[in-house]
Order: sequence, then structure tokens, then C-alpha cells
Amino acid sequence: MAADLHRLTEGGRIDRSRPIRFRFDGREYQGFTGDTLASALLANGVRIAARSFKYHRPRGIMGAGVEEPAVLVELGGDLASGNRPATTVPLTEGLVARSVNTWPSARFDLGAVNQLIARLIPAGFYYKTFKWPDWHLYEPSIRRAAGLASAPKQPPKGAYEARHAHADLLIAGAGPAGLMAALVAGRAGARVMLADEGTEAGGSLLNRRLTIGGQPALDWVAAAVAELAAMENVIHLQNATVWAYREHNLMMVHERAPANPSLLGRNWRVRAGQVITATGAIERMMVFEGNDRPGVMLASAAQAYANRWAVRPGGRAVIFTNNDSAYAAAADMAKAGIPVAAIVDSRDTVPEYARAQVPDVDVLAGQAVTSVTGGRRVRGALIAPVGGGVARRLDCDLLAVSGGWNPAVHLYSQSRSRIVWDDTLAGFVPGAPAQAVRAAGAANGAMELGRALAEGAAQARAAVAGIGIEAEAPDVPEAGDTPYTVTPFWTAPGAGAKAFLDIQNDVSVADIELALREGYSNIEHVKRYTTGGMGIDQGKTGNVNVIGAVAERLGIRPEEVGTTTFRPPYTPVEFGAIAGRRAGPVVLPYRHTPLTGWHKGHGAVMYEAGARWRRPGYYPREGESFQDSVNREARCAREGVGIYDGAPLGKYEIKGPDAGAFLDWIYTNVFSSLKVGAGRYGLMLSDDGLILDDGVSFRLAADRFFMSTSTGNADAVGQHMEKLLQIERPDWRVMITNVTGQWANATICGPMARKVVAAMGTDIDIRPDAFPFMVFRDGSVAGLPARVARVSFTGELSFEVNVRPRDLPALWDAALEAGAAFGIAPIGSEANHVLRVEKGFLSLGHEVDGTVDPYDLGMGWVMSKAKPDFIGKHSVDLRRAAGKPRRELVGFRPLDPNRQVPEGAPLTPGGRKEATEGFVTACVWSVVENRWLGLALLTDGRARIGGRAFVRLPDGVIEVELCPPVFHDPTGERLRS
Amino acid sequence: MGYDAIITRLPLRALFDLKGKRDVLRNWCGDTLPPFPDHPNRLTEAHGRQLVHTGPGCWILMASLAVEQALTAALRPDEAPGDLSVVPISDMLTFFAVTGPEASDVMAVATPLDLHPRVFPPDGASWTEAFGIRALIRRIAGGYEMAVERSYADWFEEALVRTTA
Repeated sequence: MAADLHRLTEGGRIDRSRPIRFRFDGREYQGFTGDTLASALLANGVRIAARSFKYHRPRGIMGAGVEEPAVLVELGGDLASGNRPATTVPLTEGLVARSVNTWPSARFDLGAVNQLIARLIPAGFYYKTFKWPDWHLYEPSIRRAAGLASAPKQPPKGAYEARHAHADLLIAGAGPAGLMAALVAGRAGARVMLADEGTEAGGSLLNRRLTIGGQPALDWVAAAVAELAAMENVIHLQNATVWAYREHNLMMVHERAPANPSLLGRNWRVRAGQVITATGAIERMMVFEGNDRPGVMLASAAQAYANRWAVRPGGRAVIFTNNDSAYAAAADMAKAGIPVAAIVDSRDTVPEYARAQVPDVDVLAGQAVTSVTGGRRVRGALIAPVGGGVARRLDCDLLAVSGGWNPAVHLYSQSRSRIVWDDTLAGFVPGAPAQAVRAAGAANGAMELGRALAEGAAQARAAVAGIGIEAEAPDVPEAGDTPYTVTPFWTAPGAGAKAFLDIQNDVSVADIELALREGYSNIEHVKRYTTGGMGIDQGKTGNVNVIGAVAERLGIRPEEVGTTTFRPPYTPVEFGAIAGRRAGPVVLPYRHTPLTGWHKGHGAVMYEAGARWRRPGYYPREGESFQDSVNREARCAREGVGIYDGAPLGKYEIKGPDAGAFLDWIYTNVFSSLKVGAGRYGLMLSDDGLILDDGVSFRLAADRFFMSTSTGNADAVGQHMEKLLQIERPDWRVMITNVTGQWANATICGPMARKVVAAMGTDIDIRPDAFPFMVFRDGSVAGLPARVARVSFTGELSFEVNVRPRDLPALWDAALEAGAAFGIAPIGSEANHVLRVEKGFLSLGHEVDGTVDPYDLGMGWVMSKAKPDFIGKHSVDLRRAAGKPRRELVGFRPLDPNRQVPEGAPLTPGGRKEATEGFVTACVWSVVENRWLGLALLTDGRARIGGRAFVRLPDGVIEVELCPPVFHDPTGERLRS
Repeated sequence: MGYDAIITRLPLRALFDLKGKRDVLRNWCGDTLPPFPDHPNRLTEAHGRQLVHTGPGCWILMASLAVEQALTAALRPDEAPGDLSVVPISDMLTFFAVTGPEASDVMAVATPLDLHPRVFPPDGASWTEAFGIRALIRRIAGGYEMAVERSYADWFEEALVRTTA
């Protein structure tokens, strides 16, 4: 175990009585409870902790929080996950981590050979290089070489949760502004959710030595947290990042360590009346040659390691800044015993209040760091006047940099609210809101502590006032802080190929200049060409520097460059947390009929067959192949009698004085003329004149209809009808009730069907003349109340016996018992498919693919000429008036009767490699013709019947003979029998 | 460790979907119905029957399955006037009770509906979404009751039980 060499002897928010052992890149180390992996590595003197994404340059820890751009790790064991910034990984006993993108380790990495060819692989090189013969040839190798972690190979040991919540006010960030806002809103009785990404509340106060009300600021934090904990109306989450801002104030919060020990993570979907983004600010890097060398660190991070984790990140420091905040950092570092050799300030003049914080440190105003010395870590910094001049070297092993602060406007921008450039801050700040959102504190540009507290209070009062709650004005305590000023300094003299704007993606100043030379001057193009601002950190430390560098080179102002789009997630979120419990067998809904148990018990092969219904595909018997089973079941219906479970069929009851007119409007044919007790097949079109659904509707009474729809489109049809009534015909008196689940049916089909129904016992007169095709009768079957309909999907005599679902098992058993003498057998959806293809009946998803109208399917007869209008009529007329060729339904028989054609296979002229002229919608082994046959949609197909067409497949061409799309009982005698 | 809650699949009950104007419904149904709720998404109860106001001109009558036939006789669905829709739907829905100390946690996982008492009072009852499908939710003693279209019941129960496992 390595020694804890760089730990200060006292201070910090770590528990020295609770040491923790962990492993990194195969070596064992020790840290303390309260450490992050990053702080523990620094305490153990680990300087090279990563390799860069592209060039495999050595990298060390640069940040202290979510902004960390350089050191991503892969965790092993029970915590297995990838691409975690080391600064956000709480240290736990036995933690195993390794650096990503390295082999065998970050210290010695064979990938570092890339540095030798760095000049050959600038931004965009692969767009230009790997074009021939196909990008996909190279893509796998490039992806392997690029540096991110692998996904864990085993599922996590534990569960995730996604849950919903509601709040009057959601506050993102529990720093000074967020805590103050929560106190004000909570005291007023508002339902408050306060979420903060840190492991403990306080935000930047945890890293600094400030006072509030004359006391240490963290005492105020502790008191605020305690007060909030006592409020029942406040939910306070730590280690929980608000990572997305969606429409209507729907916020996503990723909680990484829920109190429930069985949960690995939780995603909250919070609907908030008002939102306050108190997300703080993120320090920018300074841009100079070698600014990625291990030992270069954000000044605020160095300050945090010294104050919060009692870690000495270096033995001798140089500070490089363009603003005042680094002076407090320097002061804290000096107090921690880290010698500060000098503060290099790019500004010509430094405010006295800043100098006063470090009276014993040299301040080199008007100077800049132009590069660093040292190969694997910083050994010194070269300093030169900003305006040019001789450089000199300052020895150091820690170069703490501060390029100014960017208000963390990510969430605010995700709300689609405006962000605007602020010259005073040299950064973007929140502008006009697009939703009920406000920003407070540093996130709103209030960089001093006193202003942040006051703004938190004021914004909370305004926010809760927006939902009708009056909050008292609190006494905002005095805060000890110094002013903040900054003068932008985008790039140091000589910054080029090794001066990195985006550390994570290895995007240098030279890359930006290349993009601009090649004409990519729009910032969105710059981003895509260079990848600057992409990746896991989403450019937290680099984005504004990229904008500043572009502005500097184009001679325009940063606001003229603009920003790229801020997108969620703000920080990485595990897929498991998003999915929550919806995983494994419940990842998607499944639907069962009352007979599902029976089907399974009788060996049915079950699978989804539309709208999430699990249906029996076929019922294999011992020794049967799939095709044997399907053939047997199809013959059963053709030659004897079969029975199938029709419960999933969509059903609606439509009632009202205008019900008949409504059906006339939504169907292409007339329904208002139906007699009570009779039914009719109809087609529904969408507004653009394409087939939406088909089905049979019966008239139950003068003002009452019973509509059946396809299984797959049942819900869509219901929504279609409701939308029409609520939006287009609100004056029509029509009421729709979904009764899909109220009626289940067993359909008895085949030449023997009537005998089976009779044998079951019924009070309905089922003789052909008394009960003809397309008629329904209410009565009893097998002693059960039933509604029996004479419809047919198989082309055979059929009785669709509808009963209450609670009665369906009894009905089914009765049918099987009564039908046993006639050889009845259950048939699955595969046999049904064969039967309907032989009969030429259309099927949604096969012949109806969202592109066809009734004429295409040879069903012009269903387009009423008597009605002045119906939905889709005008669109059909318009389209057909154009006279363009259409794909039309045809039947086909392969010349080789034993040659199956894959469904969906393309038809091309002569089978040549040309644009398709159609496709095969269905192909089945016909039990009436004992051969393969099928249906297809083919350009000008009807005129080509009698001719040939060609199916083009990867392994050859199948020639087929075209025929009318009905192979069985074309006159319909059998189904009307 | 799942939440401390009990998931119970409840037996069928008598259900009637009622649509139309309130006065017309009142005239047709008479004393068969409990008093009409004053607000949408509220429930009234009388003589073991509950009436839920689920939307503009939409109600659901709930009662024990034992009185289904009697209610059918009283409501006469097949004879209802044209501007009134009375449809038996007893088999449409499967009901689940979610009870126990952490029933609210289970509900928070299942549904985006805001169940805070200020928003969803004791007589609250509403169609909403649960695990992504349509569900009817109301409060009951010690927890909540949810109803989903019966074909989803097995999947829905499995999803609920996973929150307690």
C-alpha cells in the first residue's frame, strides 16, 4: 500500500478515524471516509491518473467536481460502471477503479505512441481519410482506439428506480443561494424539492473559507440543512443532480445513493410549479501550450483539495489567472502550507483587495504563462509579458489556473430560456425565461456570497408568489467575501497544437484554427468538426474558451459567436436509473386474454401479435414441425372445424342521435342505412386518404352501434374517433365507449361450425336463412349470455361467439367438448394468416402498410359514391386525379410451387438491381392448392395479372406468376353458407 | 429491499360506464346512483356504490358484483334514451389495492399523478397513467386502488410486485 504522503495533518471534511482501502490501476492505496477517488489519489501522490482521448497524453486530476475533464475511471466489482469522473466517485471500502483508455495503465500506456503521429491526426482527419471504400470498414477500429470505458459485462447487482414527484418549487443546487431559497420557500409552506449534486450541501462553501453572519459559513450551512430536515414540506436530496429540464417544468433528477440500500440509483421525474437554478459557476481553464500537463489544475480545485479534503495537490505552486477569485485560492493554499511562488495575472492592474489577501506572494501583473516544462508532470512554468517579451521560468509542480467563471446556465438553457453575454463577467448569464424558471446566485452571475444569499431569498419569494404563496422576507445574513472582477484572456501567446481548449476531447487551439481555415466558422460547425464541447463533460470547462478563441480569431465579440445547444444530461446518468424497475420481463407491457393460461397449458407457442397482445401462434403436436402444425390447423378450418381466441379484437360501442352520421363520416361506405341487427364491413381512412383500419360494425339499435376494429389499431381508432368528436365535431351527439375488454370471443369456423354451435346448445336460430352472413344475434350459447355474429376472417362459415371475459373459458371448454365429435381443434394466428391469404382478405401491417388506399387493394366498391364527404375522400380524389402509377394488390404463385418467398421481399423489373416496383406482403403454404402462394403490392399490378414478376433476393431471383388476389372461394359461397 | 406495501388483486365488481348530461342521467337512473360528485375527478359513495366523475359528461358507477344484475335491471342499458350511454363494463377493468406503510412510494414509482392530499383529496378518483398505461386511481383505507384494462392485469401486477420485492 502506498503511503498517504500528501495529506495535511489536520483539517478537511474527512474522517481520519475511518480509513478506506482501495485499488487504482492495480495498485492498492488508502484514503479516508469523506474522500473522493480523486482526493485520495492526490493524497497518495498519484499524478498521472488518465490518458487523453485521442493522443493518449498523460493527464492528471484538474477539477474537484463534475467539471473534471481529464480523469475518467471505470469502476469494478459491485459498483461496475464506466466513464465516471474520479472527482465524483465517493471513496468506499474495497473500491476498484482503473483509468479508461489506457493499457496497461495510465502511468505506462502503449497508446501513447499516438503522440508521435499527432501532427497527422488533427481535427476531422478521419472524415477526410477513411472514406474509401467505406467508412464502416474503419469504424470498429477507430471506436476501439478512442478512449472511453466499456459497458459492464454483467448486469448490476441491485435495482434501479424511476419515480415521480411533484413540487411547488424545485431548486437545483444546495449552495448558498439554493439553501437560502429553500429556507424561504420552505418556511412559507411551499412543497420544495432541493436537489444538489454534491455528497453534502454547501456548494462552493465547502471548498472555501468564508463566513456568514460572522460564523464559519459551513456552520450556517449545517443550521440551514437541519432546519430544512425538520420541514415536512421539503424534500432535500444530496448526491442528486438535476440533469435535464424538459417541457412544462418536468425536471429529471439523478440520485446516486438513495437511502434504500437495495437501490443502486434513482431517477426522479419531478413536475415543478416553479424552478430555481442555483447551480453555481464553473471555473474556466487557461489556454497555453501544455495546459494539460499533470500538475495543471483549476485554482478552485486546488483550493478545494486543500480546504475540504486536506490534501496538498503540489509542493510548490504558481497561480495563473485573469480574475480575482484565484487570490483567495492562493491564500488558502498558502495557509495549507503550499508555497505559492507567484501569481501570474494577465491583467495589467490587480485590485488592491485581491493583492491584500496574499501580501507575501509575488504578483506578476500583465504576464502570462506561455507553456510548461516537464514531460510527465509539470516541473515549471514559462512566464512572459502578455504583450510579448522574454520568457522566464518559474519552478513549480502545481500550476493552478483560473480563466474566470462561467455561470452554470446549462439547465436554464435546457428550459429553452435565453442566455445572454455579460461583458462584466465575460460569460453567458440567464436572460428571458421561457418557462417558470429563475436563476439565483453564481448561476445568475451573482459571484459574491452576499449577493448570492440575497438573490436566493428574493428569487424564492418571487417564485412562490407565482403559485400564490406569500413568503416573508428573511434576514439575509452578512457574508464575508471579496468582489469579483475578470478581464478575458482567451489564449496565451504561442498557443497551438498543445494548448487545449477542450481537455476531454483533445481539442486544441490549432484544431480550432484549422476548422476556421476550412470554413467552419459557425460555432455549431466548429463543435461538430472538432468535437469541442462534446463528450461526457459537455465542455464545462472548455466551451466558453472555444467561443472566446473563435471570437478572438475572427475579430468579433463572443456574443456574436453565440453558443452551441446545451443538451441533457448535465452529468452522466446510468441507463438503469432512467429505466427504473421497467426492466426484464416488464420492460414492455404484455396483454393476456382470459384463455392465455389454457393456450400455454396446451403447448401453444405464444408471441406478440399486435398491440402488445400475446397470442397463440400455433399448437404443435408431438413430432410436428412448425409447418406441419400450421398446415394441420389450416386444414382443420377448411375441411372440418376450428376455433380460435378472438378476444384481442378491438371493440367500441357508439351511441347517440348522430351515431349513424358519425360512422358515415369515418367509414368510406354507408352505415346509417344498416338495419338493426345487421352489420357491414368498412374501411376507415386517415385525413390523407390512406387506409387507417378495417372492421365490421353492427347496428344494435337506431342510435347504437357495435364496432369492431383490428387488434393492432384498436387504440389508434379510439383516439381517432375521440379526436374527431372533441375537435372537429364537438356539436355532434355521439358517445364512444371502449368495450374491447368487456367482450371476448371464441370464433368457431369451418364447414362444421354450425353443427358445433348447435351441439353446444343455443336459443338462437342458427339456420342459414334465419341467421345469415353479416348479422348478429343476442342469446345464449352453452348456457352463457352471448352475442353471436356471422362474420368471417377465414373465408369459411364462422360464428363469432362474444361473451363476457369471465365466461370465455367456460365457452371455450364447451365448444371443444361439443366439437370433439367433429374433430375441432384450436388454431393459432399462423393458420389464420394462411386462411386469410388464401381468401385474399387484407391484413393491417401486411397489405395495409400506410401507403395504400382502397383502390390500390381493388376495393373501390367500398368508396361510397352516394356520400358527399367522408374522411380521406378529398385526399384520395386528389391523389388519383394525378394519374400516377400506384402499387396495386395482386396474387402470385411462384413458378416453382415449392419455393417459399420471404414476406417483405422486393419485386424489381426482371429481377434486376433496380428500384423496386413492389414487394411481397404475404406468402404462405396453401392448404387448398398444396403449394406456396402469396400476395404482393406491385406497380400497376392489376393490369399485369397473367404476366410474370420477379422477386429479387440476395441469393437469386424468384419468378412468379401474377394472378387475382383470391385463391379460395372467390364468390364467397362458403362464408355465406 | 422493496417497499413495505401489499399488492392485492381484487375480485371483479359491477361497473357501468355512464355518459350524457347529468340531469338526463339523474332522471334515467334515479336513486340507483349515489349523489353526483361536485367536481371532476371526485368520487361519491352511498349504499356500497361509488360514482366517479371521470370527465366531462362521463361517470363510472362501481358496486359489488353481487348487485350487477340488479343494477342492470335498474339502469336498463339497452333501453337508455339516445342522448344517454349506459354500458356495462364489469369485465373491462382489473382492480388492485396498494396498501401498507410505503404504499405512497409504490404509487410514486407507478404513476405521475400528484397524490398529495392538497391535490388529490380523500374523495379523489381519476384516470391517469400508471407504468405507461391507462389507470383509474382512488384512495382507499391504508392506501390506494388502481384499475387497469383487464388484458394488462398480469403484466401490471408483475410490475407492481417488483416494487415490493
